Amino acid sequence: MRAGKIVLCLLLLVLATFVPVQAADIDRQGLVGIWCAGDDAERRDSFAAMLSQVESADEPTRQWVQSVLSAYREGDLFCTAETAFRPAGEAYENVLTGERVDALPADANAPFLNIPLRRALEPVSRAVTLVVSPEAAERLGAADGLSRSLGVVPPALIEELYATEPDARVRSALEQVLVGVWLASGDPADQQRAIAALAADPTRQNLTTLERFVDGAEGSLSPSVEAAADEALSKVKLTVQASDILTVLYHGLSYGSVLFLAALGLAVIFGLMGVINLAQAEFVMIGAYVTWFVQEALKVVAPDLLDAYIFIAIPFAFLGPALVGVLMEWGVVRHLYHRPLLTLLATWAVSLLLINIVRVSIGTQNLSFYTPEYLKSGFTVFSEFAITWTRLLSIFFAALALVGTLFVLYRTRFGLRVRATTQNRRMSGCVGVSTRRTDSMAFAFGSGLAGIAGLALSNIYNVNPTMGTSLIIDSFIVVVVGGVGSVLGTAVAALGIGELNAFIEPQYGAVASKVIVLLAVILFIQQKPNGLFPPKGRR
Amino acid sequence: MRRRSFLKAVGVSGAAMSAPGIILPAWSQDTVKVGCLFSSSGAMANIEGRLNYVVQMAAQEINRNGGVLGRQIEVVTTDPGSDWPLYGQQGRQLIQEERVAATFGCWTSASRKAVLPVVEENDSLLYYPLHFEGEENSANVVYMNSPPASSVLPALEYLMSDNGGKARRFYMLGSDYVWPRTINDQLKGYWQQEYGIEPDAWREQYVPVGHADFQSLVNDIKRFADESGEQPIVVLTVVGNSIPNFFQEYINQGISALDVPVLGLDVVEADLEGLDTEPLVGHLNCWAYLQNAPGERNQQFLDAWASYVNENDVPFRPDVSIDPMVSTYDGVHMWAMAAEKAGSFDVPEVRSAFPGISFACPSGYDIKLTADNNYVHRGVFIGSVNRNQGFDIVWQSPETTVPVPYSPYI
Repeated sequence: MRAGKIVLCLLLLVLATFVPVQAADIDRQGLVGIWCAGDDAERRDSFAAMLSQVESADEPTRQWVQSVLSAYREGDLFCTAETAFRPAGEAYENVLTGERVDALPADANAPFLNIPLRRALEPVSRAVTLVVSPEAAERLGAADGLSRSLGVVPPALIEELYATEPDARVRSALEQVLVGVWLASGDPADQQRAIAALAADPTRQNLTTLERFVDGAEGSLSPSVEAAADEALSKVKLTVQASDILTVLYHGLSYGSVLFLAALGLAVIFGLMGVINLAQAEFVMIGAYVTWFVQEALKVVAPDLLDAYIFIAIPFAFLGPALVGVLMEWGVVRHLYHRPLLTLLATWAVSLLLINIVRVSIGTQNLSFYTPEYLKSGFTVFSEFAITWTRLLSIFFAALALVGTLFVLYRTRFGLRVRATTQNRRMSGCVGVSTRRTDSMAFAFGSGLAGIAGLALSNIYNVNPTMGTSLIIDSFIVVVVGGVGSVLGTAVAALGIGELNAFIEPQYGAVASKVIVLLAVILFIQQKPNGLFPPKGRR
Repeated sequence: MRRRSFLKAVGVSGAAMSAPGIILPAWSQDTVKVGCLFSSSGAMANIEGRLNYVVQMAAQEINRNGGVLGRQIEVVTTDPGSDWPLYGQQGRQLIQEERVAATFGCWTSASRKAVLPVVEENDSLLYYPLHFEGEENSANVVYMNSPPASSVLPALEYLMSDNGGKARRFYMLGSDYVWPRTINDQLKGYWQQEYGIEPDAWREQYVPVGHADFQSLVNDIKRFADESGEQPIVVLTVVGNSIPNFFQEYINQGISALDVPVLGLDVVEADLEGLDTEPLVGHLNCWAYLQNAPGERNQQFLDAWASYVNENDVPFRPDVSIDPMVSTYDGVHMWAMAAEKAGSFDVPEVRSAFPGISFACPSGYDIKLTADNNYVHRGVFIGSVNRNQGFDIVWQSPETTVPVPYSPYI
């Protein structure tokens, strides 16, 4: 073991003396050989050596290094015994000869990179991009990731790049990379610069860096640096705390929107019509499955529109469950309107039936959804407050559903009939409202809303036949707390429960938060048995 | 009138349905029953459900070669619906009413604990195909998979080594039941005793079984990672559908395996089915079998499963194979071997035939039972998520390991 290390050191020494002599030229074949078949230590050393050469290399070589390195990092470099291939459009390019082939040779496979190797490769690849790329946006992306770890990249190289970088945003990103070096330098001017850079980007990571710097220095700092550090520290801390609070609020909002979407259909069916529909959550599941069918159909019929499948699926995700809802109302529920207990049992049976039909016909596996590029990850608002697109989409759908439902109920003839029938069934019958048809339509409407919930949840949760079962209890709680029959009440209750959950969960864990929320709901119902917005008048 | 004819119809069909039950004892001389206790509904359905078919596939193989002691195996399946107490209840039915010679079943430890008293009081046999927390050694259970000392600890040792990325801080996230809690207790003891790591280097969180919304918790992992410079990892012991839900949120919040790798102790190939695994590349798991295990035997098993799925219209993917499937498959074969060796289906005699039984497992190892305990000696694999919803093998043990049922770290 030790002997091996010594030999390795000697080898490195020999290499180190050799390298500068032929610095201008990169041994492409040797590099590919090591990347494909070398052991971890060889590969790691080759990264550093290559980085030192790339600066002085000619333009084609630089481009070659960047493209092959990024293919290697992404696991797209397919090695054979003599050479390696990288994807180029539909075909593959031999990275040594530039030749193109349509299919990979049978023995080609991508070498496995373990985590330490990828951690070593990541900064090197970013540094190469910084050196090589003419695009400011690409350089910015590369610089952003470097602040986590420099790996084997020499800080001197970054300082050099910083000095010559023309783009202001890339410069400020590079400052973040250099703070570690500057803080450790002992030079007050550098330390001041580092502190200013840290204060300019108040993340938790930078807060930790600052805290450690202040704690570790213990009086060895010049007074001006210390004052600046203390000031920056308190400012960063405040910003991070503010962003934490906003994050919790946002999480509550997004969880509340999920609850609201799941409960809205129920608010219409249970709230307005008084039918306890235990199959409600299965309409959510059906909505998600319809969305999936739309996605699969688009893949075949119009692959160009695939990116927009979520929006194209909206009418289908509404109409599919609505149709099932009409059938269910016609076949089961209408016979049991005045027998709540039997409705409960019958709808439960329907729920089991729906689950099992889906299970038998499609299977129990989780469905695979395509995530369009615009929904991947998200963006940082400030400090630690980040928003993910999928959650934002669910909030958007919740808002849409709320506005849409309020509009339908209060601004259309159909809504008028529904409200009239709810308030006094016989009286509305007398003035010419077809209560039978209204019931049926209202049931379809509620089912369709659940379908929209399924659509919105398909990118957040897994879609499988039993996805609805976990939602049904929460939905009932939301509707009851909100006040039976009140759409606005449902929204407020969903938001309240969502926020309560988001506040408790990080503190006491998910199990405790369930318990505490349920306790709070019990106490609330005891105080206000009719919920937040009780229906006015006699029922 | 209508009612009467209805009753008549019910009576006739009822008699027709019970007829095989009357005839059964006449030809049951030629068959032997085994039971399955795997859920086809509820939170565990997606992963547990397929094990029913594996038992049938293995039984079919054995039957084709003449059965066990000249009798054909008949598989009785149940559906305990991911409801832990129901496993005990249906296990009792299998043993007392169906008179099964052995039962293959359970995924979670909570369900095994529910069946344990049942098999013990009836002196029956349960073949349990999952790796679990250990701390148990019943004469009535054959533990087909590894206790933590021979599965989880090698994986952690790897992650804490230079080669694995020197993990020193740990975020333990688990479903709230016996397996995650016991495993985490053992791990804390292990870190403290072997590495001298202080309790402020870890955080422990539990979620209810079936929990789906991991937003706040993944955000908490982010915070945990940024609080110190040392390398953090997540030790994930959530089960069932919580696993893909967790990974979905991990992707959405943009945490990569380079920043905070996840060691998913219950994560199998099937959990990745619905996910885009590109952003998940590098997360790890550890099992006694991975689908990419090298060797001819694994290929045979994969082919057998694919053709079984296609021939019988099984509602699971023909090209996905997971450790518990192989462990169940091994279990059926090892039970048949033990019965053959004992020359009887009586549990005490089958049990006394256990020591020395060895089976050529698809994982490539020759797995065996010894006289020490009812734990099968298995090999260990550490896998790393790849882009094709599978696992690349990062490391595998040179030989089968000796199982240690009771952890020294509690």
